[in-house]
Amino acid sequence: MKTVLKSVVLAAGLVLTAQPVLAAAPQAKTLEQLLKQVQSDRVSDNKINKQREQEFLSARADKQALLSKAKRELADEKARGDQLAKDFSDNEKKLSALEEKLTLATGNMGEMFGVVRQVAGDAESRFQSSIVSAQYPGRDKEMKKLAQSKELPELPQLEDLWFALQKEMTASGEIVKFKAPVITVDGEKKEMDVTRVGTFNLLNNNEYLVYNADSGTVGELSRQPESYMTDSVKNYEDSKSGYTALYVDPSRGTILSLLTQKVTLWERYNQGGSVGYIITAVLALGLLIVIERLVVLGGMSAAISKQRKSGTPSDNNPLGRILKVYENNRSVDVETLELKLDEAILKETPRIERGVSVIKVLAAVAPLLGLLGTVTGMIGTFQSITLFGTGDPKIMAGGISMALVTTVLGLVAALPLIFLHSIVYSRSQSLIHIVEEQAAGIIAEHAEKESK
Amino acid sequence: MMLFLIELWESVRDFMNAGGLVLYWLAIVLFVMWVLMIERYIYVTWSFPSVVKGAVNKWEARSDTTSWYAHRIREAWISQANEKLNARMHLIGTLVAVCPLMGLLGTVTGMVHVFEIMANTGTGNPRLMASGISMATIPTMAGMVAALSGVFFSSRLDAKVKVAGHQLVDSMPHKF
Repeated sequence: MKTVLKSVVLAAGLVLTAQPVLAAAPQAKTLEQLLKQVQSDRVSDNKINKQREQEFLSARADKQALLSKAKRELADEKARGDQLAKDFSDNEKKLSALEEKLTLATGNMGEMFGVVRQVAGDAESRFQSSIVSAQYPGRDKEMKKLAQSKELPELPQLEDLWFALQKEMTASGEIVKFKAPVITVDGEKKEMDVTRVGTFNLLNNNEYLVYNADSGTVGELSRQPESYMTDSVKNYEDSKSGYTALYVDPSRGTILSLLTQKVTLWERYNQGGSVGYIITAVLALGLLIVIERLVVLGGMSAAISKQRKSGTPSDNNPLGRILKVYENNRSVDVETLELKLDEAILKETPRIERGVSVIKVLAAVAPLLGLLGTVTGMIGTFQSITLFGTGDPKIMAGGISMALVTTVLGLVAALPLIFLHSIVYSRSQSLIHIVEEQAAGIIAEHAEKESK
Repeated sequence: MMLFLIELWESVRDFMNAGGLVLYWLAIVLFVMWVLMIERYIYVTWSFPSVVKGAVNKWEARSDTTSWYAHRIREAWISQANEKLNARMHLIGTLVAVCPLMGLLGTVTGMVHVFEIMANTGTGNPRLMASGISMATIPTMAGMVAALSGVFFSSRLDAKVKVAGHQLVDSMPHKF
């Protein structure tokens, strides 16, 4: 059964594969015709097979030739590779020998190369920050080129280095005037006559200038140092011969630029804020009262001493007014006179004492206001601490110094007020003594003289 | 001797430099204070007794020492003498009181200096801050010392002046 199934499947496969061949051949009508056809087909098939065999054989011969050719080429290349490897190792040996020869030949020159590079590097940084570069710009770039070059320096380059160093040395000892573009405070660039004092300072127009190493420009200081220093510059620039003293910056500009950060007295005063202004107002008010009191009391005591000398009482001073009371009440008895005098004295004392206690109050208030400023300043400091933390002491220090300024202001205002109060107080007291204790005595002396 | 004086002067100058500008003001105040106190001492011990003597003699010479007029004249003389006696005493007291205040001023300016240095350079350099701290502490000490020296002698002076005043009053008795 199995074999039958197999042969059927095989037959079906054959039928299927033969189908196109059968379809290509002319349709055989009869069995005889089919037989003829098969016979003729077989003859032609044999022909074709012969031809294909021929073709295969010829192609095979071609491939054989190609193979042998490739084999030949491979052998050639292998031989060449061996040769090259040998050459390479030979060259390597030659190279190391030559290098050895080179190091032997370079010898001290190699050391010099290092020294030149080092010196050129040093010179570059020095030239960059030196104010001499304001006069001769671009020197540091040449030095940089020399410092970074990989080749051995040549003789002209070495000479250039030597000249540049010698020039810097000479320039550090001379005072010269030259023209240079100066960047003013407003940011404008102006061509100006600049005086260079060694490697220390640049001067122009009675002012100090600074050299900015990064941009290689000369700039005006945003704030000049104190006037006695700038005056020395003026004297120096004005002098025609001989020697003139001049303040120089031995740090070559660092101190001058630090000076611009220094707080002036006025700025520090303004740090006190509104409390500071109030303290100033207190001081001004106190001083005004003091002046007014001193003038008034001075006039009063002058008038009183005049009154003591003259016999007739006048209305322009306290003693005169009291004496007038006596003049008007000559006839009354002693007790009434005393009452009348007391009344007159009571009228006079407030005029003398007026304002004295106010000065004392102001003198007491000024340091208290200073304390207030201190506390508000500390509040500000602690607020900044809560905002920024304690990481930057500069923020805190700013607030603290602000707090201390008000304390200083308070004390500075209080001290003169205390002094002046004491002076005004003593004056008013001596006048009050005259009016209260001595007026009656003067009257008594008068009366005694008259009765005699 | 000369060398010793020079050395002394040098140490004083170092002290003044360390203390700052306030010390000079304090020195002026101290100087004025002591000049005034010495002047008062001299006046009370040498000049005032003659004033008292003159007043007492004048009083003794009077025939009438009991009337209202006599009372008033006596009071006026005592008042005049007291005024001479007490002249500038208030100023001395003020100067004594001002000394510690000036010391405080020095403290605060020194602290301002310290904080200014901190604001400029940070806390990295305690040496820079030390100059400000010595500027803060030395005036305080100097102010205290000045005030203490003044307090003792000015209170002695006060007592002396008071005693002299009372003696004057007692030496001009009313004769009934």
